[in-house]
Amino acid sequence: MSVRAHPTRTRSLQYVALAGYLIFLGFPLLWMLSTAFKSSQELADITPRLIPSDPILDNFGDAIDRADLVHAGANSLQVALATTVLVIAMTLPAAYGLVRYKTWLRPVTLSWILIGQVFPVILVAIPLFLILDQFSLTDSLVGLTIVHAVYALPFGLWMLQGYITAIPRDVEEAGAVDGAGRLRILVSIILPLLRPGVVATALFTFIASWNEFFFALVLIQDPDKYTLPRTLVRFVGASDQVQLGPLAAGALLATLPSLVFFLLIQRRLTAGLLSGAVKG
Amino acid sequence: MNVKHLAGVALFACLVASCATSTNESDDTSDSGDSEGPVTLRFNSLAFQEPTIEASKAIVDAWNAEHPDIQVEYVQGSWDSVHDQLVTQLQTGKAPDIIHDESADISGFARQGYLADLSPYLSDEVKDAVPEGVWDAVTVDDKVIAAPTLLQSYMVFANTDLLQQAGVDIPAGETWAWDDFQAAAAKATTDDTYGVAWGLAEPTATVTSLGMNFGATFFDGEGDDADITVGDPELALPARIHEMTYDDQSIDPTSLTLSGSDALPGFLHGKYAMTVQGSYVAQQLVQDAPEDFHWAVLPPLSAESAAQAANPQTLSVPAESPHVEEAAEFIDYFMAAQNLAKVAEGDWLIPASSEASDAVAADTGGDNGWNEILNSGEYLTKAPFQSVTNYPQWDDQIATPALQKYFADEISLDELQAELTDGWADVSGG
Amino acid sequence: MNATRAEIARPDRQAGRSRSGPTPPDGQDAQSRRKGPRRRRNEALPLLLPALLPVALFSMFPLVQGIYLGFTDSRAGLDQVTHFTGLENYRDLLDNGLFWESFRIGLVWAFSVTILQFVASLGLALLLNQDLRLRWLARTLALVPWAMPPVVIAIMWRMMFNPNSGPINSWVRGLGFSGDFNLLGDFNTALPAVIVVGVWVGMPQTTITLLAGLQSMDSSMHEAAEVDGAGALRRLVHVTLPSLRPIIAAITSLDFIWNFNQFALVYVLTRGGPGGETMLPMLFSYNEAFRYGHYGMAAAMGNVMVLIIVAMLFFYLRNRLRENA
Repeated sequence: MSVRAHPTRTRSLQYVALAGYLIFLGFPLLWMLSTAFKSSQELADITPRLIPSDPILDNFGDAIDRADLVHAGANSLQVALATTVLVIAMTLPAAYGLVRYKTWLRPVTLSWILIGQVFPVILVAIPLFLILDQFSLTDSLVGLTIVHAVYALPFGLWMLQGYITAIPRDVEEAGAVDGAGRLRILVSIILPLLRPGVVATALFTFIASWNEFFFALVLIQDPDKYTLPRTLVRFVGASDQVQLGPLAAGALLATLPSLVFFLLIQRRLTAGLLSGAVKG
Repeated sequence: MNVKHLAGVALFACLVASCATSTNESDDTSDSGDSEGPVTLRFNSLAFQEPTIEASKAIVDAWNAEHPDIQVEYVQGSWDSVHDQLVTQLQTGKAPDIIHDESADISGFARQGYLADLSPYLSDEVKDAVPEGVWDAVTVDDKVIAAPTLLQSYMVFANTDLLQQAGVDIPAGETWAWDDFQAAAAKATTDDTYGVAWGLAEPTATVTSLGMNFGATFFDGEGDDADITVGDPELALPARIHEMTYDDQSIDPTSLTLSGSDALPGFLHGKYAMTVQGSYVAQQLVQDAPEDFHWAVLPPLSAESAAQAANPQTLSVPAESPHVEEAAEFIDYFMAAQNLAKVAEGDWLIPASSEASDAVAADTGGDNGWNEILNSGEYLTKAPFQSVTNYPQWDDQIATPALQKYFADEISLDELQAELTDGWADVSGG
Repeated sequence: MNATRAEIARPDRQAGRSRSGPTPPDGQDAQSRRKGPRRRRNEALPLLLPALLPVALFSMFPLVQGIYLGFTDSRAGLDQVTHFTGLENYRDLLDNGLFWESFRIGLVWAFSVTILQFVASLGLALLLNQDLRLRWLARTLALVPWAMPPVVIAIMWRMMFNPNSGPINSWVRGLGFSGDFNLLGDFNTALPAVIVVGVWVGMPQTTITLLAGLQSMDSSMHEAAEVDGAGALRRLVHVTLPSLRPIIAAITSLDFIWNFNQFALVYVLTRGGPGGETMLPMLFSYNEAFRYGHYGMAAAMGNVMVLIIVAMLFFYLRNRLRENA
């Protein structure tokens, strides 16, 4: 009722509510941005200011030099990209198989996803470490990639299989009638339809790997192989001593690529989520 | 169908195999045999401030130049994550050859049998340069499981302008009596300022360490076989803090819920006349204080004595390292007076060796509180709780919550005593 | 530590799949049997193997070992001998009042965060579903909590909560309260304060999932309801929510699991304090394993939590399924 009676008032209320949400969600990033430009004297001030009174750029130089941010960023990018490719390459056929064939593996896979979710990762860390050691995969970016992939895989599987379910079977059967092989059906018919879903899954996997800390901490010892989250903690000391400026600057530099990426693909991402989540 | 099946297996096997071969080469360097080629040791350092990091790297470089057969690789770790890293890496035999940590944390690993006994490898100069009480803090089951490098003590930092305004004389003795500290705090408390900010978010370390001023021992016995005593000496420090907070109202109760560093901005901007902090905070004051801010480090607090627990930073070697002797040799080198002095200066910590301490005093002229900080080093000694196996669990599950409740005025002193004592029975039984 | 779990787990926020997804195997089975001939069944294996083999090796195997540890006296230490002890850990656990207290706190935390997260995300999703200007920017900003490295999130929030130098305290004072507040250190406000941060961290995934559900809804139902004169609120309750129900069930149960498992965030914010008020069960079992080296007992705690949480989810999801049937 009220909607049609006062459309403009409702609209403005909606904008106000949206602004409220964005302040809540975005403020910590804004605070981090502001921190990145503050000197350590200003950070020790008791008057909180969002706009630094005397903005400096030193923190960025500090973060880049001392945390070797460029090199770590390259490692992170390598691991995250490889993880993403690996996950998509492994889950795409598997999700297809789970959806289109009846197999006992389906209930097993699903229960495993659930239990694997609840059981604390810290308790499997040591057995996992020992297995990786068997394959000489500790202290190696390849090992880290495999761990990230294995832990992101169930979710990729879960998501992709949802998107595949949403693709009408008729489309595929039309292809089969034409005499196209399984693989060709997958590549030439399913894949184009799945593109938004694959983009969404890839994005989720990428971010999960990009931000992962614990395995990067315990698996990697060689400083040449440090990833971004691993190198950023060097600004965190004992007894809550934190070198806030460089930490914020480094974290900001680590966050921006993801945000820009979101910005570029948000339309496609939402579309992907749409077609994926469309009623099954 | 079988072919496809096999193809899948083969694909995976290739994946694993290719990974395995690609990492084997790099892995070999750290395990290479003693006979051929140089040995490479990994040194996981927790140096925090930039000058200390530079100094540590310089020591490594100098060592590497002198010892072509034993090369040390500097690896930057962090205090925040070192414990988790060591739990996993020691359990799986992949720990760095030279481990930087602190006595309170490393002695737990030592009791679990992970660390090598360094005493056969350390030189007499190094052994003689460090006081007995500090060696005790790194001795577990009669084995020296680490070399103590740097120490901190709890000190009172003062805003000298505020103290003078309040008519408090800046104390200048060897130590400062608790009663005088309490009186000064009350005198310096005005409508806008509290006498003291004390960051006690993690209260147990302070209470068990600084409590030694009042003769607190808390524990009797070692390892798994220890009893607790919570009597008047143990309760004296918490009761004193409580009295200052709620009776004298000279300690800001909000500050008690903060960490030391988080309480610092208020001190720097005139909200508090004094603050009790780890001695290393002097570094932050030098760096962050506004130009018109005048401060001093006051002499160590003292009641029965000025004793505090020595919880030195440590260098250890895992028992499973293939190069224990070489690693210990490097540690011995690191402990040389001029080396320790350099790393101590950057992080504003007290070197464990007296010679290094003198070098720091000479180098800094004792300014910016260095005199008081270095002097406090002589009161640091091993505390009984440091050799008790279940102490960390008592700290987390019993003492920290109980003390937090007491300092928030949620429970009485009697209840605190009961919780600390009964809680030990639960923890040590289970 | 558990950040790992949280980070990696987040992608699944998307998993708000509906009935035709894999959830109820029975209905789906009948369908595939009709459409996909039985002999094709083994063709699925080569498709699945590349995914399932590494998972079995690197995830299932350690998991099974972890579960087994819960029935042993395994401890940290060089050359420690581990014995099978059967149910002894569980008998000890029954008497461990501190564990059950932290379990209670964990349930309060997980329920509050999940419910608030859901309500807040639903509101945001409804807004983002409108044809508002700058929607592209809003959608991007809504993902901020997810893009920030978890390593710094808790540190930034602790800064903002600082009673001396943080903005939150000056806002509280701006509201007319006087004095300094350490919301994270006060017995009455610590848990609510960390809950707010918990809600913040998990909102992006929940919002996006719900938004996807909203956009996929059949708009004709809405229009019909509007013609009938139903107000916005009534349409939400009677049209929107019922049709979103499968997605809501999936996302809330996953949120619940992740929230229950969260602890890295709270660890940096409060370390479980003050007075144990924010000691989440995962933090408790982390300490048991990593601080005290009692692997067997910690794994037993993990097993107990898995059992209880899975049982709760079973009842929650079973009812959902029945309603939808």
